[in-house]
Amino acid sequence: MRGPGRLRVRARQVETAPVEAEQPDLDESPTTDRPWLVIVWNDPINLMSFVTFVFQKLFGYSKEKATKLMLDVHHKGRAVVSSGTRERAELDVYRLHEHGLWATMEQST
Amino acid sequence: MSAPFRRRRDGRFTIRIDPSVRAVLVSMSEQLSPMVDPEEPMTRRLFPPAYPGQDLAQAEQDYRSLVDTALINHHRQACAVLARTAHDDTLTGAELEAWLSAIGSMRLVLGTRLDVSEDMEAPDPEDPGAPEYALYELLGQLQFLIIEVLAAELPDEGRPEGAL
Repeated sequence: MRGPGRLRVRARQVETAPVEAEQPDLDESPTTDRPWLVIVWNDPINLMSFVTFVFQKLFGYSKEKATKLMLDVHHKGRAVVSSGTRERAELDVYRLHEHGLWATMEQST
Repeated sequence: MSAPFRRRRDGRFTIRIDPSVRAVLVSMSEQLSPMVDPEEPMTRRLFPPAYPGQDLAQAEQDYRSLVDTALINHHRQACAVLARTAHDDTLTGAELEAWLSAIGSMRLVLGTRLDVSEDMEAPDPEDPGAPEYALYELLGQLQFLIIEVLAAELPDEGRPEGAL
């Protein structure tokens, strides 16, 4: 699969090449310790069965867990569907966007 | 009458839908494919923001520059597979997934244009938007049927965490 994970690695190599060694590495700053949350928002177009299917397929969730997350999206307007490093979250957001879901990410507070 | 989409024992899928529906899918694929672009208002819905807040505008710009080309290619590829295989009697799993993806994109574009809501009722047949709404409904029925056969392949208990 062509995803941003691979692309990001390449972009980072390009970005970090000219940076001086003495500069602090962003990845070591405390704010990056907090996980990033991947959020799926309710939309009036995608079918409920499709949203459940995508959660099962992309995240390997059980049908029960995927259905519960879908119902959270449907009734509460949004649900956190995965979390992790920024790179991991961005890859998950990308895969959800490939499937037409309205997904965003934010750092947990 | 047999089901419109059915999984065969050898893993391929049998497709039994009306030739007129297949022709609509070809036509829709050919119309959608060249339009797919984040700058095109009609297909904007296919490119949601990853970082919606103003304070992360730079992160959003970086995300867009990383993924937009891949997203455009993904959607165009799905349309191409659907147009190429729309009249086939059987499909591989990958081809049927491309159908699902392309039909889903068509629904997103049409549904956004029709400004559909969850409890929306079909417009009056005299309404100028009625044909487009009927098309939206047809795509929804196809999507529902395809999900039914593809979801049957997924284990109810899920897969180990982190597996792709």
